[in-house]
Amino acid sequence: MPTDTAVTTDTEVLMAGFGGQGTLLAGKVLAQASMDLGREVSWLPSYGPEMRGGTANVIVCIASKPIGSPLIESPRGLIVMNLPSLEKFAPKVRPGGVIIVNQSLIDRDPHRDDCTVVKVPSRELAQQAGAIRAANFVMLGAYIGATGVMPPAAIERAIAEEFEGDKARFIASSVAAFRAGVKAGRQPAH
Amino acid sequence: MSRIEIDSIRCKGCGRCITACPKDLIEFSQEINDRGYTYVDFTGHQEDCSGCTLCAVVCPDQGIEVWNFKDKQTFVNTTGLTENMTHYCPGCTHGVVHRITAEVLEELGLLDRTVGVAPVGCSVLAYEYFNIDMFEAAHGRAPAVATGAKRARPNLIVFTYQGDGDLASIGGNEILHAANRGEKITVIFVNNAIYGMTGGQMAPTSMPNQKTTTSPMGRDVETTGYPMRVSELLASLKTPAFIARGSAHDGKHSLKLKKLIRQAFEYQRDNTCFSFVEVLSTCPTNWGLSPDEADKWLETTMMPYYPLGIFKQPDVASPA
Amino acid sequence: MAKVLMKGNEALGEAAIRAGCVHFFGYPITPQTEVPEYLVKRLPEVGGAFVQAESEVASINMVYGAAGVGIKCLTSSSSPGISLMAEGMSYLAACELPCVIINIMRAGPGLGGILPSQSDYNQATKGHGHGDYELIVLAPASVQEAVDLMTLAFDLAEQYRNPVMICADGMIGQMMEPVEFPGEGRGEPFKPNDWELTGAKGRARRVVNSLFLAPEELFAHNIHLKEKYDRIHRDEMRSDLYGADEPYDLLLVAFGTMARISKTAIDEVRRDGLRVAMFRPITLNPYPTPALRAAMDAMGPSGKVLTVEMNMGQMVHDVRFAAEGSRTVDFYGTAGGIVPSPDQVAAKIRALIG
Repeated sequence: MPTDTAVTTDTEVLMAGFGGQGTLLAGKVLAQASMDLGREVSWLPSYGPEMRGGTANVIVCIASKPIGSPLIESPRGLIVMNLPSLEKFAPKVRPGGVIIVNQSLIDRDPHRDDCTVVKVPSRELAQQAGAIRAANFVMLGAYIGATGVMPPAAIERAIAEEFEGDKARFIASSVAAFRAGVKAGRQPAH
Repeated sequence: MSRIEIDSIRCKGCGRCITACPKDLIEFSQEINDRGYTYVDFTGHQEDCSGCTLCAVVCPDQGIEVWNFKDKQTFVNTTGLTENMTHYCPGCTHGVVHRITAEVLEELGLLDRTVGVAPVGCSVLAYEYFNIDMFEAAHGRAPAVATGAKRARPNLIVFTYQGDGDLASIGGNEILHAANRGEKITVIFVNNAIYGMTGGQMAPTSMPNQKTTTSPMGRDVETTGYPMRVSELLASLKTPAFIARGSAHDGKHSLKLKKLIRQAFEYQRDNTCFSFVEVLSTCPTNWGLSPDEADKWLETTMMPYYPLGIFKQPDVASPA
Repeated sequence: MAKVLMKGNEALGEAAIRAGCVHFFGYPITPQTEVPEYLVKRLPEVGGAFVQAESEVASINMVYGAAGVGIKCLTSSSSPGISLMAEGMSYLAACELPCVIINIMRAGPGLGGILPSQSDYNQATKGHGHGDYELIVLAPASVQEAVDLMTLAFDLAEQYRNPVMICADGMIGQMMEPVEFPGEGRGEPFKPNDWELTGAKGRARRVVNSLFLAPEELFAHNIHLKEKYDRIHRDEMRSDLYGADEPYDLLLVAFGTMARISKTAIDEVRRDGLRVAMFRPITLNPYPTPALRAAMDAMGPSGKVLTVEMNMGQMVHDVRFAAEGSRTVDFYGTAGGIVPSPDQVAAKIRALIG
């Protein structure tokens, strides 16, 4: 068990997009990494009648004490993969929060001057990392880079854990995509 | 010279043995027994009895045992049934089917590893009569109960005993899917073309124009459809199974029926397949016939529509 | 054993195995389908059996068959499917067969919706099938508690020879949280007993039956069952208090998911100096009435009670029963799959004592 517990911060993040964009998986990796760091965590997906397509979102809560409501109306973090999600959730982010916008699919500004907004060309960065389908990890990386809620290494371990076994071939490219995201996320803070 | 012993206490006076005896050696007594039935007596000459056992075979009440000319007992009441006297009406062939099922289990040495499932309907009290571990199931659900029991303890021999309302109507889904999954259970399906316990309503298997309390003008096939041939229906499934239809309306057919039921349990014992025996059976009371007339009505009205035989066997190519 | 991150539905499946249950009978329905999907993979690994039944009617009767032959078994469904199981539950209770039924509640009535709801509280605690019988009903508020209650569920089922329902909602079923499982691998089967049907070898035959045509016999059976339920009501009430160490002016009563959401609301209003505690029944049946009454009485006569549920007001009647007219009991609820947010619950609290 890693011992860098103290590094993480209590927070919650809503990750939203189309079904198939990997929001639930990226959220799970974040939750897994937080748990591995010894934090309390909850992963609450929206679930609807659509098996594919439609909207998919997940709220991940990370805390130092048992989590009360896993349902958060105004999260401190928002990762939006598509325009409908931006329109629906950006107004709800708590003032002072962080919004990560998927620039590859969204050409609109969230108009939240009271939040840190990071626009990430996730598809292009994923492509450059050699993992065209890993835009979700680019976005997660940008969130980690922008917020510093936990060390990137914790997420990288969780990615390896998620894909261990017969999906191990995805680990390297997913981690590369994630790292590209972290870099993109850090830029506005520096 | 053979002999029979008639238990006048068990006898309900249905007279099926009188019809069955090829030598006319049995007659109604002039007396009634403690339960109010005019019982039967052996009134012929002892030397005329060939010991054919047909009287015992057709008796629905375990009321007759037979010894051959060497005084060896050739028809013994099975230990697979309890001593309880059944609640079935005089001449109802449920008692025959109970006995045959129990005899088969006894002869195969399976009684102490068998669990039976009783239905809702006339045979709801079957758990009082089979001398083995028994379930009473909700109406129509016996094949699901049997599935649960068999999957949980595969070494058990599990059978259901169901009537036509229970199996073909309310339990249509359960029997269809138990058969289609190929559950290694045995189903004894007693088809007497009517709801007996509730007093003679139309069943899915009632005959065209048959008068029942819910088809007082006779079953109208235009509005209620045709009698359901469950054996043929189940035999159309691709899943390997043993599906057969026999009849309990006379001694000869009862002996053939026993072979079918034996085969069914052998298939289960050998873990081969789902096995199902439909039994054409009589309901003298609700058909409004004497036991003798009921046996004849079954033969003339039901048998042409419900042909006897084996419809499907796991080791024989399916006709479908 | 280390914690693992798991969905509530899957965790319930694994917890059943740890409790010694390796036989499952069920039918797909959202939002509980991950229970069968998990178990179909796991049960063969631990020597069990999985049957996808043709209907919930069949599932519960397969449970009846498996429980009757003395095997720990489980079924799982969601609201409309539970309605179809009502008949079977009555038979299971009547025949005193131990088993566990999971209900991952969704919104009704009718086909309703698939989102979380608590609108089957009445059904679980007072409804389902016909006749004088009761189920033990357990309501987890987290994935970990769902796991813990599964062990308890099989223990209570065996001890009292009674079906036990785990009554959660779509949120608990679908959410992932870290969980720790008891034991290693498959748990213990039922202890030797004198009721299971195993073939009457070397003993008197047994019958699993609920038909008693003689009224005196059925009445005696009813009395026997009632005595058992009385023991359950005496010995098995479970509940939890939050924030009751300090004086409070309002007692919020909620179960399952709604209790978690309310907890966050309470933390929020406390920052503004409002004094609120929460009573959470864990056993919905037996309902922990005496403990609830004590928690009410711990407040002065002006203390208020607020029941919060994801339905149009069901448990609130049991809360009012506990109050016995000693004070008014307010209600806040949403339905249709709308889950109240902590802010909405907080607003209701403020409206009452703010």
